[in-house]
Amino acid sequence: MSANAVADSSFLIDWAKYSRSKLLFKLFEVVFIPESVLAELRSEKTLTWVAQGLEVGRLAVLPEFPDASREALQLVSRSRRLPVRAVDYPEAYCMVIGRELGYTVLTENGGALAVRDYDPAFAGVEVLRALDVLYRLWRLGHLESFKEELKLYEHETKRLYTSRDLAKYGDAL
Amino acid sequence: MEEVGAKLRWWVEYFEEAKKTRRKYANWEFIKSQPPKIRVALEYFIEVGDLYNAAKLAGMSMEEFNELRIRAGIPSVG
Amino acid sequence: MSGVDEGKLREWVERLREAREIRRKYANWEFIKSLPPKLRVALEYFVETGDFRTAAAMAEMGVDEFVDLARYRAGIPLVY
Repeated sequence: MSANAVADSSFLIDWAKYSRSKLLFKLFEVVFIPESVLAELRSEKTLTWVAQGLEVGRLAVLPEFPDASREALQLVSRSRRLPVRAVDYPEAYCMVIGRELGYTVLTENGGALAVRDYDPAFAGVEVLRALDVLYRLWRLGHLESFKEELKLYEHETKRLYTSRDLAKYGDAL
Repeated sequence: MEEVGAKLRWWVEYFEEAKKTRRKYANWEFIKSQPPKIRVALEYFIEVGDLYNAAKLAGMSMEEFNELRIRAGIPSVG
Repeated sequence: MSGVDEGKLREWVERLREAREIRRKYANWEFIKSLPPKLRVALEYFVETGDFRTAAAMAEMGVDEFVDLARYRAGIPLVY
């Protein structure tokens, strides 16, 4: 099991719907949730999932660090000048934390995924979508079939991965 | 090493007792009438007694949440 | 902005455009059009942009509540 991760809203609101969500903790010791992410969650299912994770010590709330916060705002501002979808503050904060603390960033947000690709300042940040998490779980032997599990995940969350997304896992599918 | 084990066991029992006390005195009617964010936070607080994270779950300051748990009849134990 | 990988940027523009097409295609337009203006506009905005945060604010809902409405009731798949 590797170190820690930091998760944003887009990841959590899907993952909490997934019937085998506890598998996340086969990959990570602790998954941090920034305060700004927690603040925007309101649905019972997601919040209950968070509360249960906090209870067993596998989730933790990440406070706002002023320096990280400042840099996140700068990232938001920079990304707004570009022709792709801008990064919002909670995702930007996760990216900065991912880089500064070496945490894996868990997100489904297009803006954040794009930043990792086009902004050299964040090229070293490991960013995973649920697709990638499921693939790793399968490679580690925690899932019988990557293809079937992905189908289940897409069905339960209505998250849709395009052929472009799936191309890198062609052999496994 | 044995002493550490005994101390640990003591604390585990202590926190179990505290949880039972919180559960016993909580005003469940009030709690169940709350919107999801508040209700989940209060239930979490009853289970764990952790004011800091319960307040975060509720999106409140610790002071505000402390007043809320008083209104919900939940004693601060442990 | 210095140092930006232009090629990757273009790739993402294309991905996000493709995502919009997918959302438009699968959305349950009959359901969306039956909703009161605030929710309808929020869902239409979400279909067009994938920006759940702003859409949730338009709908005056929590982000997770809004996304649940979009995916389970309005049939809008989540793509990026």
